[in-house]
Amino acid sequence: MTTTTVNPTYRLELTSSPHVHSRWSTKQAMWMVIIALLPPTISAVVFFGFYQLLIIAVSIGFAVGTEALIKTIRKRQINIKDGSAVITGLLLALILPPNFNLAFTALGSIVAIGLGKEIFGGLGYNIFNPALVGRAFLQASFPVAITTWEKPNFAVDTISSATPLAAFKFDSVVTQLSSLFIGNIGGSLGETSSIAVLLGGIFLIAIGVANYRIPLAMIIGVIVFGGIFWLVDPVAYPNPLFHLLAGGFLFGTFFMATDWVSSPITAKGMWIFGLGISLVLVIIRLFGGLPEGVMYAILFMNAFVPMINRYTRPQIFGEAK
Amino acid sequence: MKTKATLSQEYVKGLWDQNPVFKQVLGMCPTLAVTVSAINGIAMALATTFVLVFSSLIISIIRKLIPTQVRIAAYILIIATFVTLVDLVMKAQFPELSKSLGPYIPLIVVNCLILGRQEAFSSKNGVGRSVLDALGMGTGFLGALFVLGGIREILGTRTLLGFQVLPDFYEPWLIMILPAGAFLTLGLLMGFSNAYIAKKKNKERETLREKYLKPKSPTVNAQEA
Amino acid sequence: MKIVIHMLVTLSIIGIISGGLLSEVSGWAAPKIAAHRKAATEKAVFTVQPEAKNQQKVETVDFELYKVFDDQNNPIGYALPFEGNGFQGKIRLMVGVKNDLKEIVGLQILEQVETPGLGTKVTEDDFLNKFVNLSSVPKILPVKVEPTSKPTNEVQTITGATISSKAVIAIVNAGMEKLRKVKEEGGEL
Repeated sequence: MTTTTVNPTYRLELTSSPHVHSRWSTKQAMWMVIIALLPPTISAVVFFGFYQLLIIAVSIGFAVGTEALIKTIRKRQINIKDGSAVITGLLLALILPPNFNLAFTALGSIVAIGLGKEIFGGLGYNIFNPALVGRAFLQASFPVAITTWEKPNFAVDTISSATPLAAFKFDSVVTQLSSLFIGNIGGSLGETSSIAVLLGGIFLIAIGVANYRIPLAMIIGVIVFGGIFWLVDPVAYPNPLFHLLAGGFLFGTFFMATDWVSSPITAKGMWIFGLGISLVLVIIRLFGGLPEGVMYAILFMNAFVPMINRYTRPQIFGEAK
Repeated sequence: MKTKATLSQEYVKGLWDQNPVFKQVLGMCPTLAVTVSAINGIAMALATTFVLVFSSLIISIIRKLIPTQVRIAAYILIIATFVTLVDLVMKAQFPELSKSLGPYIPLIVVNCLILGRQEAFSSKNGVGRSVLDALGMGTGFLGALFVLGGIREILGTRTLLGFQVLPDFYEPWLIMILPAGAFLTLGLLMGFSNAYIAKKKNKERETLREKYLKPKSPTVNAQEA
Repeated sequence: MKIVIHMLVTLSIIGIISGGLLSEVSGWAAPKIAAHRKAATEKAVFTVQPEAKNQQKVETVDFELYKVFDDQNNPIGYALPFEGNGFQGKIRLMVGVKNDLKEIVGLQILEQVETPGLGTKVTEDDFLNKFVNLSSVPKILPVKVEPTSKPTNEVQTITGATISSKAVIAIVNAGMEKLRKVKEEGGEL
């Protein structure tokens, strides 16, 4: 037995946000999100075939693997069981186009975890939503592959493989709202079916994992901002309901913007955040070069979250103004 | 008084210890903007080095003649002269290269690396030391831009200096030749270099601790005895 | 006072030496640079006007325009460099048109910053050749399917690069409009 003269070190355990601000622990909440993501996952398989499960598997596999590898290199505890890497992988897969190249999927997953999360210090330290970082990287790297869409399984001849937003933007074709609602349209895996996304999203809010404020602010925002343009010129600008149901808006609303880590913590901040996303989104969709902008709108507002938190902090009682 | 560095140290310090890109974080504009390919990086670095060396040479010669109040104006005049020289020669002899580097050649004038070295070094040191310092900084700049441009070119177009180095089935990551790729590559390179240095320092501290704390411990000796 | 004079003298001397040196170098470089520029322009002009043997800059208009001649030195048309907004930045192109200012004979993209692999398809021959023998009156129209009848004023846009294709068409239209306007107003081309 040897003893040393070096003092034993006592360690103060510090954790960063997400702190528990709901009745669920981080771990429980993460698994609830995975349950909520089941309906969009099922709709992806129904509309685009079983191959999509392979994309999901690759995405989750590489996300978990990257997390484990980086934690090992940094000699940190591996917390795969908290489910956050699984969610990032699943979210990333669900916002990719159907039949997407598996190698690209793996790369996106590595980037999402590596550059989106771990490089900032891991869960709780990331500024941006990791899955969206992965998607943005793929969008910039493989612009052709990521805008190549598949026809859904039950497509009738009138439905083309182009997404409703692209069809509207480039060819002024308006897709029926009922198709948007069911999801029999071209688009990313889990984003096409509004009803499936709503099912999962309402479940999350009902059990208290996601706060209602951000989704509500976004929905009100897109109806108001989109509605203003629609009222000005109903031919050139789409109906606000179209904004609501087309593309990745609902998916982004319930599963991306509500991310605990990269959204504001104050009630007022959540409203600002949600309204900000919908304003940026409407501007990108109507005046930008790209047909869709949910990803960039959320990433853009993610960058403002520290500032929003700072300025919406409740005033300390008795503090002089 | 601090002993003066040897002449070779004046050159070597720019390569790594005071590398303009990774350590001093100077000249970020050309570093990020032109490194879409290795050859662009090399050309940019050579042009910058040329301007840096000749400016340092001239300024260290006339450093005692320039009144302090107008020294910055005088430095900028001299630097601008050499930059214009490079720009004209490039346009006349290498029109293709000049086109791909675009406005970044004239912008060497405002590269803080050059003015920084004049203010911090050439205005206070002799001709030999100033030229060696400029050459060292230039070489460090060249190395950094070559590595950055090389990585971006390989991943973004699967070639290096125009020769294909990655197989055809590798799909180029277009992001690497876009501005975002420049930030990602530079950030990761800086991160890795800092992590490496931190690790090295930690190790040194460990060895020092081993050396000075362990043997003095009486309990260890007692046990051995 | 002495220091002010010192300052003025130092800066003046540096300025004079610098100016002298640069004017020498510029005298050597200027003709070479002009030659490079001329070669580049001629190359572009002759690509959009394949039958041309000679070209001359039109001096009577306030924009850049080249008149081209065949081997008998008869004027056969014009080459017009023109620019406008693309998807991410400016697109600069050169369009060749016959004397009647109606039939386009060639198109070349000179500068662009479109998305690599997607928008950059507008620089490829597959797209540019669609403009050969195209009628530019009243306007070139972007369409989804390949036009069957010839001559036509319709150009099929590139799938996935609709914005860039439409931008190129819009720039060509704007350029032709400008040329015709000059002619209608009795200007000399």
